[in-house]
Amino acid sequence: MSPSENAPIVEFDRVVFSYSHIEVLHQISFQLARGEVVGLLGPNGAGKSTTIKIMAGILAPGGGTIRVTGLPLPERAVDVKQRIGYVPETAVLFDSLTGQEFLELSGRLHDVAEDTLQMRIRSILETFSLLADRTSRLDSYSKGMRQKILIAAALLHNPELILLDEPLSGLDVNAAIMIKDLIAALSAGGKTILYSSHVLDVVEKVCRRVLIIHQGKLIADGSAESLKASTRESTLEDVFRNLTGSASVDPGVARIVAAMQS
Amino acid sequence: MNRLGEAAGRLLRGPWACRLLQRLGIEPRRFWLLTDLFGQLAERREMTSHLGHNTAALRLNAWILCGMTGLAAVLMLLAQIALAKYFAIFLAMTGVMLAGILFSETGNSLVNPVEGLVLAHQPIDGATYTAAKLTHLARILLYLVPALDGIPAICGLLLGAPWYYPLLHLAAAFLLGCVIALFCCAVFGWLIRFIPARRLKAAGQIAEIVPWTLFLAFQYTRGLFQHIHPSHWLPTGIAALAGLGLAAAGVSVGAVVMGLRCLSGDYLVRISAIVHGSSGAKAGVRRSRTSDLVAWCFGGPPSRAGFEFVSRMTRRDWQFRRQLIPMLPATVMLLVGSAHELRTSPFSGRFTGAQVAPHFFGGILFLICPLLVYGSDYQGAWLFLLAPGRALGPFARGIFAWLWLRIIVMPHVVLLGGAAWFWGMRDAALFTLYSVAVASFYLGLELRLIDGVPFSKPPEPTRQNYLLPFVFLGGGVMAVAVGVQYFFLFHSRPAVLLAALAVGAAACLVTRASLDTFESAIRFNLGLMSAEAKVLYREVEG
Repeated sequence: MSPSENAPIVEFDRVVFSYSHIEVLHQISFQLARGEVVGLLGPNGAGKSTTIKIMAGILAPGGGTIRVTGLPLPERAVDVKQRIGYVPETAVLFDSLTGQEFLELSGRLHDVAEDTLQMRIRSILETFSLLADRTSRLDSYSKGMRQKILIAAALLHNPELILLDEPLSGLDVNAAIMIKDLIAALSAGGKTILYSSHVLDVVEKVCRRVLIIHQGKLIADGSAESLKASTRESTLEDVFRNLTGSASVDPGVARIVAAMQS
Repeated sequence: MNRLGEAAGRLLRGPWACRLLQRLGIEPRRFWLLTDLFGQLAERREMTSHLGHNTAALRLNAWILCGMTGLAAVLMLLAQIALAKYFAIFLAMTGVMLAGILFSETGNSLVNPVEGLVLAHQPIDGATYTAAKLTHLARILLYLVPALDGIPAICGLLLGAPWYYPLLHLAAAFLLGCVIALFCCAVFGWLIRFIPARRLKAAGQIAEIVPWTLFLAFQYTRGLFQHIHPSHWLPTGIAALAGLGLAAAGVSVGAVVMGLRCLSGDYLVRISAIVHGSSGAKAGVRRSRTSDLVAWCFGGPPSRAGFEFVSRMTRRDWQFRRQLIPMLPATVMLLVGSAHELRTSPFSGRFTGAQVAPHFFGGILFLICPLLVYGSDYQGAWLFLLAPGRALGPFARGIFAWLWLRIIVMPHVVLLGGAAWFWGMRDAALFTLYSVAVASFYLGLELRLIDGVPFSKPPEPTRQNYLLPFVFLGGGVMAVAVGVQYFFLFHSRPAVLLAALAVGAAACLVTRASLDTFESAIRFNLGLMSAEAKVLYREVEG
């Protein structure tokens, strides 16, 4: 293995990010090794999507240093984007394009040779059972179909690093099982995957390592088993509740019901 | 014609054009991919808010401008003005018109990059992306410059110009258009570089007002320039003057180049922050006494909903504010310019600006009502599909209440205070009563122009153009009404009182009928919206 292959594919060193003078990421540091499948967990507003967007070169950090695939960000953002696949949390697409047209656009922007591109599009759409709908406009797609298109677009150019922000959102059970298998297969093929999700049991099954972000800080980093052992909890969900202080949700639920009946 | 277009296309995508693009730091393959994408989106009506991508709107604009400048050229020919003056007037007219349109379009493209969220994670560099985004400015120039200067350039021959004058005139106009387009891009480049993303939309809107404000301010300050004689401040020697000119040109070119570099360097990294940027301002949760009153008078919680909804959205909706911006400087200048007219009572027997006031409010409402249905957050309109049918009537009355209270009643309260000071309480009260009645009558009629739920449709650049003939027609009707008032009404206070009562009663009847029409329009448009349920309810179907 050459030294560059041993080097981490993602290096976050004391990264800071602010929205409107409010710091949402406080000196976050971690590394992802090549071939790892890492889960990124955290409550709403914890900074998960911001972390992923910074990694994808979409947002520029306010401080700290970042290297993705060995390239510094945000200086080499265009080159980094060429090497990564990103599935955003919301399925924002050009609704008037067809599924085929959207994937062609994405592949061509990533410089995929035309024959290879058409072959990959056909193969991925077939696997996702979207081949019959490929000439329909995206505004006629269901939420799950749109999510599949986003996942397909992220894989077309054979990226080294895949960033998945809530990839199972809107997918039916079969598609979700298929994506989990796909993640395992991609990982076996040497791809690095950062998987952000609220579905903790999926993260527990798919990811070898888990990062938990809470209020902009990295509060846990390790395998699901090691986190369970260190917090003396039996499930990842309990670990999450313990670390993020979300065990006390029941009074809030009672308040909602009381307000509805008042 | 098609063959000519194809040949031009081949030339533009040929090797020499690619080399030129590469020299400018633009990646040709991705540039053409994005340009084709934007064209395709516009063709499929997904990107219609950009004038340069909307061929129908461009053609309509071009025909209207062509008619206006053609008429102006004929008038100048009849007046037999000197050729140099003729050329300068049309060039200035082109500059003012293009500055207004291009500032607005550049702002809309760069400050509201809706497509940016889909493309932000693609490997596209800033220069390529901004160049592709701003290509539609070139289309605007290609349509509007010949429209503005085509007829005047040809008519110049009738003023004794040499045979090559039309070519010279058009070349100068195109050059001016390109300089203005580059200047607009540079201004927004500087703004994007130095203004925080959360304030960018507001800053962009202020920048859009600047050309109109300068133009109108110049109308009021021409006399000042004649007294100050700025030419006296300049050095007299040719060499010094040339040096000063070169330095000024150098600074201008430098500022434009730096602005463009800011745009190509920073833009793509800032897109996500720009799209998601909010002012960060927090609104209070206090309960408004006015909305309590509206709920009590106009039909309970749904009317309060209509009142509060329009009240908040008119202040916060970016596209709505953007549509009103070109009208704002003219309105403010008109109000400031006619403030001194308040000293003279409309009952003095003389014609005063105050006599125009009720029709002025009618005019303002005429501009606002048709624009009310368009907004940035139109996709949130699905909420109204869930409202019970019986709530739509009071909801429409709540919207009427906002228009009546905020645009008619509140300004008249201020007017009453000022007028009472100069004319005495009796005349001020009588005039205010009359003015409120007339403005309410206008509102009653103009409610019919609100074609659906407010802020429920994406903006359409052609909409204002379709209204243009009605603006001229309405202006004529209002001028006749002002004349009738002056000659037959304002000489007798009892006549004004009677007229106020009669117009007020008519306003009530008209408003009642128009509210029914408005409610039907809301129902009809909600029906259309639910017919497109596959778009709105794709999650449910999935």
